[in-house]
Amino acid sequence: MVEFKNISFSYSKESGIYNINLHVNDGEFCFLVGPTGSGKTSLLKMIYFDIFPLKGEINVLKYNSRKIKKNKIHKLRKKIGVIFQDYKLLKQRTVYENIALPLHINGVGRKNIKSGVEEALKLTDLSDFQHKFPHQLSGGEQQRVCIARAIVKNPELILADEPTGNLDPAAAHKILKILEQINKEGTTIIMATHNYKLISDKDYRLIELKEGNLISS
Amino acid sequence: MIDQFAFLISEGFKSFYRNKLASFLCVITIFINFSVLGSLFSIGNNTNSLVDFFRSKYTFEIFLNENVEKKTYLNFINQLKDNKIVADTELIDKEKSAIIFKEEFGEDVVKMLGYNPLPVSIKVFINEENFEYGSVDLLIKSLSSIDFVDDIEYRGKYIDEVEDRINLAIFLFLIFVIAIIFLSYQIISNTINLSMTNRKNFIDILKYNGASDIFIKIPFYIESILYSTIGSLISFYFVKYLFLSFNSYFSINIKIDDYLWLWIIGFSIFIGLYSSNQSMKRNLYE
Repeated sequence: MVEFKNISFSYSKESGIYNINLHVNDGEFCFLVGPTGSGKTSLLKMIYFDIFPLKGEINVLKYNSRKIKKNKIHKLRKKIGVIFQDYKLLKQRTVYENIALPLHINGVGRKNIKSGVEEALKLTDLSDFQHKFPHQLSGGEQQRVCIARAIVKNPELILADEPTGNLDPAAAHKILKILEQINKEGTTIIMATHNYKLISDKDYRLIELKEGNLISS
Repeated sequence: MIDQFAFLISEGFKSFYRNKLASFLCVITIFINFSVLGSLFSIGNNTNSLVDFFRSKYTFEIFLNENVEKKTYLNFINQLKDNKIVADTELIDKEKSAIIFKEEFGEDVVKMLGYNPLPVSIKVFINEENFEYGSVDLLIKSLSSIDFVDDIEYRGKYIDEVEDRINLAIFLFLIFVIAIIFLSYQIISNTINLSMTNRKNFIDILKYNGASDIFIKIPFYIESILYSTIGSLISFYFVKYLFLSFNSYFSINIKIDDYLWLWIIGFSIFIGLYSSNQSMKRNLYE
């Protein structure tokens, strides 16, 4: 699914990630943990080819970071759902429109969009909010919209970058529960977090980063 | 596919409506620039008409040798009249020349000298409708070589000088227009760029959700076409009614080109699309 081979990347002399070798299998649920600035977000960004390693190569699904052309990256991203800490929702659009966006991008017909969005709304318990705008929702609800948008296109891989970072414990647990449910249906999930308390009782794989180095995987 | 296309078209319209301030600024920018360009184009177009007007007023006078027979020059006049460049001719024989001389100088030349030294001449009026500068020039050259033609008074020489100055003015005007076009492109491009930079977040969200470059670009292209069409349509009507008002107020006749609307809208759409494409490249790949 995802394979890192001797990956190095740096924003500056002080920060970066160094010689990462990692393999994530199909259907896995992994937590990418480490303190702020340890390189979690950079690693996730590399998976959806937002940034490219300076050394080494990454294989994601069937795409290789060295071989992929810029104008083909969207093909990979169609197969990946990304959940952002800051939600990245379109403020002027309703919950329904935000969730439908990836389906429009994938060229899904209107009828299938309706059924797809309704299913995602149901899974994330947002059916009552579909006509609301993001600013009318709480942080937890907005994050669920972000999750619904990520899962609506049935991606093979979901990348969640600190999805519970801005949420209270109850909302954070709800988000994690939804992600676990999605994973049970076969979707691979890599979730970056520094909330050790949230995942302490979970029996999933931990990939630990510290100052850009892989401590354990 | 049709649903996707309909979505992209509606996104272009929605985006135009949602970003009211940016849309308003773009439309106003395009309106101002194309009002200036449209006005300059109309003035330039009428400057050409002015040159044509001067050229069409060409007349020249052919002075004949002293000993030419009447039959010869009457025959020559008929030949001239057959030429499609020539609208009319006026024969000024010796008697008529003497009358003109007396009118102009107050002296009877025949009484003064005891004979009439004034030559026979033919005034040639050029056909305004079929006027072509080159063919008049050619006609004058060919007439000069006829043996009974003594001289040709060519008033076109003075008009040539006026034309030269008008041509210089047109040349300078053209440079000015090119500068205005460049400036318009810069202003429109920067306004559209500003509008797109404001929506960097929107572009990023589309990108992260797997949108291809063309998918991201199409709504912006549609939006840009809307800016251009609305801005240039307003500027066309502004220019049109501005010159119509001038015509009626100053009793002049500035002609508005029949295709001015097409020129303004077409050019504005071209600049709008090009500008949005350039700014999209910056925003998509930075």
